[in-house]
Amino acid sequence: MATANIKDVKRRIKSVENTMQITKAMELVATSKLRSAKERAVASQPYFNTLYETMCEIQSDRGFKSIYTKKEFLKTVLVVVLAGDRGLAGGFNHNVLKLAEEKIKSLKQDGRTVKVFPIGKKAVEYFEKRKYEIYSKEYQISENLTMSRAISLSKKVISGFRNGIYDKVELVYTTFVSTLVQNALSITVLPIESDDLKGNEQGSSADIDKAKKSALTLYEPSAEEVFDGLIPKYISGLLFCSIVDSYASEQAARRTAMESSSDNASEMIDSLSLLYNRARQAQITQELNEIVAGQMGNN
Amino acid sequence: MKPYKLKIVTPEKIFFDGEAEQITIRTTEGDIGILANHIKYVCNIVAGPLKIKDSSGEREAALSEGILKVSDEGVTVLASAVEWADEIDLERAERAKKKAEDILSDKTRADEFDRAEIKLKRALARISVSKRYL
Repeated sequence: MATANIKDVKRRIKSVENTMQITKAMELVATSKLRSAKERAVASQPYFNTLYETMCEIQSDRGFKSIYTKKEFLKTVLVVVLAGDRGLAGGFNHNVLKLAEEKIKSLKQDGRTVKVFPIGKKAVEYFEKRKYEIYSKEYQISENLTMSRAISLSKKVISGFRNGIYDKVELVYTTFVSTLVQNALSITVLPIESDDLKGNEQGSSADIDKAKKSALTLYEPSAEEVFDGLIPKYISGLLFCSIVDSYASEQAARRTAMESSSDNASEMIDSLSLLYNRARQAQITQELNEIVAGQMGNN
Repeated sequence: MKPYKLKIVTPEKIFFDGEAEQITIRTTEGDIGILANHIKYVCNIVAGPLKIKDSSGEREAALSEGILKVSDEGVTVLASAVEWADEIDLERAERAKKKAEDILSDKTRADEFDRAEIKLKRALARISVSKRYL
């Protein structure tokens, strides 16, 4: 490469610089978006926690039956997959889609029929291309989802469950652990497993005491009705929280990816500049040599 | 009157966290008022006005559907949206009301009935609270 063309090297430096400008800008945008997404995720916590607590209390109250807790022979499963709308976010979309695919595969091996409900453009594209049975493509955009959209989304999920189109709902999404770590995971949304709720309650004995005390609570018109009215709110709250969570993860993943690509770009510029300077030096030396040789010839 | 702890929470924020002497709220069974030392109580609430009375006077807000929970620790209201009377965008509520009514009168859009009905109730609650305030 000693005789590298100066022009070529210069052009390459220019193009890497342009790329770096873009990745730097994307990093900054992702950083500010991440901050607001984190705030939203934190703000939605108290609402959801209280909802969850109330549900646990009603559940632990008496042994009643609700359509949402029925456990019949599970034949059809709806898998809700939350991914991003855009790429260039490192392994974010890939990780969650891979987990979803594994989940679907294992469900199919157990002889279940699987329907996919993708949310976010990347998820829709992915499952469409692979010819999965798609339940709905209504929610292509997962960015900036409002609570009212989350409510209509949960209504869609619940109505399918109530009408018996599927009898189990799984949710695959990415949870935000820290700016550097985001984990893809899957949870069961419906039917609501009373064991699950109780399992969580056993976390501390204080919770159990609290549950016992609430046995004297008055429910109007009835515990069942309050519970059934609670479920749509619980599901929409759950979906809203996980969408906000997934969005924060996407921004964090994008920030990290863009940060490392900016670093790579500046490294590349350094080595290219070295190459450029060397080539320039070689050219000057050569020119000097030619002049000196010419002079010597004249003498 | 004896004050008690009141907390009103929406998915977006904690709307109210403080002390109140009395609240009046619309449930599926009708309007109820909650004073201090109420028994433990849980019910579903529908879109409607919410009155909060504390030592400084009475304030009114428009509430969307949610749940009400009275426990030893205090009263918690969970709702998908809440606004103080002076925060309501009356024009927007009127628009929402009209849109919901259009859907309800259009028989070809039967699948949207439930949603439109809830939206209509929400808009009506906002309009009535806002008008009383003006």
